[in-house]
Amino acid sequence: MADAEPRLSARGIALKAGAEPFDLDVGAGEIVGLAGLDGHGQERFIEVLAGLHAPAAGSVVSRRDGADHAVTSLRRAIAGGVAYLPRDRRATGIFPTMSIVDNFAIATVGQDRRFGLISRRERRRRYDYYRERLSIVAQQPRNAITTLSGGNQQKVLLARALAHKPDVLLLNDPTRGVDIATRQTLYAVFRELAAEGVGLVILSTEIEEMLLLCRRIVVFREQQVASTVTGDDLAAERIISIMFGRAQ
Amino acid sequence: MSAVVRSDRKGGDFGWARAAWQQAGFGPVLLVLLLAVNIAVNPARFAPGAWGTLIGLAAPLIGAALASTPAILGGRGGIDISVGPLMGFINALIVLVLVQRLGIETPWIIVPAAVLIGAAVGAGNGVLATVLRIQPIVATLGTYLILIGITLTILPAPTGTVPAWLRALGGPLSILPLTAVFLAWIAIRRLPYYDHLMAVGSDDRAAYTAGIPVTLVRFLSYVITGAFAGVAALMMTALIGSADPSIGPTYTLMAISAVALGGVSLAGGRGGLLGAAIGAIDIFLLQSALTYFNLSTFVLQIAYGVVLVLAIVLTALHERLLGRAKETA
Repeated sequence: MADAEPRLSARGIALKAGAEPFDLDVGAGEIVGLAGLDGHGQERFIEVLAGLHAPAAGSVVSRRDGADHAVTSLRRAIAGGVAYLPRDRRATGIFPTMSIVDNFAIATVGQDRRFGLISRRERRRRYDYYRERLSIVAQQPRNAITTLSGGNQQKVLLARALAHKPDVLLLNDPTRGVDIATRQTLYAVFRELAAEGVGLVILSTEIEEMLLLCRRIVVFREQQVASTVTGDDLAAERIISIMFGRAQ
Repeated sequence: MSAVVRSDRKGGDFGWARAAWQQAGFGPVLLVLLLAVNIAVNPARFAPGAWGTLIGLAAPLIGAALASTPAILGGRGGIDISVGPLMGFINALIVLVLVQRLGIETPWIIVPAAVLIGAAVGAGNGVLATVLRIQPIVATLGTYLILIGITLTILPAPTGTVPAWLRALGGPLSILPLTAVFLAWIAIRRLPYYDHLMAVGSDDRAAYTAGIPVTLVRFLSYVITGAFAGVAALMMTALIGSADPSIGPTYTLMAISAVALGGVSLAGGRGGLLGAAIGAIDIFLLQSALTYFNLSTFVLQIAYGVVLVLAIVLTALHERLLGRAKETA
């Protein structure tokens, strides 16, 4: 399933002082799920992996081209090949005053440079690649991002993250407020990415969704890992009972 | 106006009209109106042959408006109200220190000096507003007072002369420094920096999660504002032909009125230098029409105030219209 070398390693992570520390490795081509009741630490943890928060204890290291990169900030995470898709699309995702194509390109504008200057054509070419790949339904890439449906906005944000060409993709509730058809497209894309060797970490409020995608689900309870569920144990009832503290 | 909105909805022709509408809103409409009024009441002053002189007269205000724009585009209350006093400060330094005391008259030293002093003060504002996170209006109010104080200390009364080349920039040739600012901005627009600035102004939390160095981007917007204020100071020095401690500070409020009138959102992330320039020309034309009717400077003040309020109402209306046009698109 995973390479000998994990792509992203969390070592001795404690989300708050006094919590029991835990480790997590994400291998190439692996899809790891993070579950838990809201506010029980899984969201905090994915933000730690992304470099947005420092943990109370422990460290996160990503491995790219045989070199170790300590993840201490979002920018370091990106440099180390880790991309993050934020949860709250409206508050921390889209730029409502900007166009679709600019919303896509904003995190990677450096790639649009030709002889040091921004090339609109190059940006359009990059956008078209991801539009095709994620089947984004948008007539005019110059239109404002707010003209798109929630699902298509999410695809643009996913394209923004993929434009980093990450080794590890962190998805914070990627299908929230997204219609069924778009969900199926996103699932297919996630599986494709895994098949290409990208390691994925998915936090979702829907257990069914994670059961569909993941072979390993880490369940959080009270700011620490209650259990890691794999193989035959992967069933909704089992995960729910761990979430509520009724099983280990 | 409504015709422009309709073409916006069709999204077909009138691309330039649409772009002007989206960027500057009501500024260009007011420009045409005021120009017509001015030409009607005072044909001699507004004859084509006199336009060079007019540009020279308007240049410092246009420059101040252009300078005020980058800091505002950065959003979250970004503003630099020290632009006016900074122009006065640079004016005093150039005439008093460079020209009078050191006898330096070559543009190869004076122009870079003005821009660098401006950029340095802008960097100071940037540190206060983005690194120390003092509210920009308070931070630059501090700089405003400090700069006025220093200027009055080294230059209690108007004095001095300027080199011939600089005096020449006060007339039709003032188009040169204005063009230089616009060319610099066009270059900036082609850099990744511009996209980052607009994104930060649009939504700084989203910019942060997209991996944009928000603090650095905002800091640089103050440096650019300062550098542009240096150019505006040169144009002001060229126009008045001496050092005068009282003129610079008057530009701050007019420049901010011009920026608001030009459709630059004071919330950041929307607008550009073209709109700001159009807003500045609007104010200049208003000034010129009111002066022709021999109204006192007090009435002028009232007019600026009314224009500023009107500008903000119209900008809000413009944004609502744009939003509606987009929803129906």
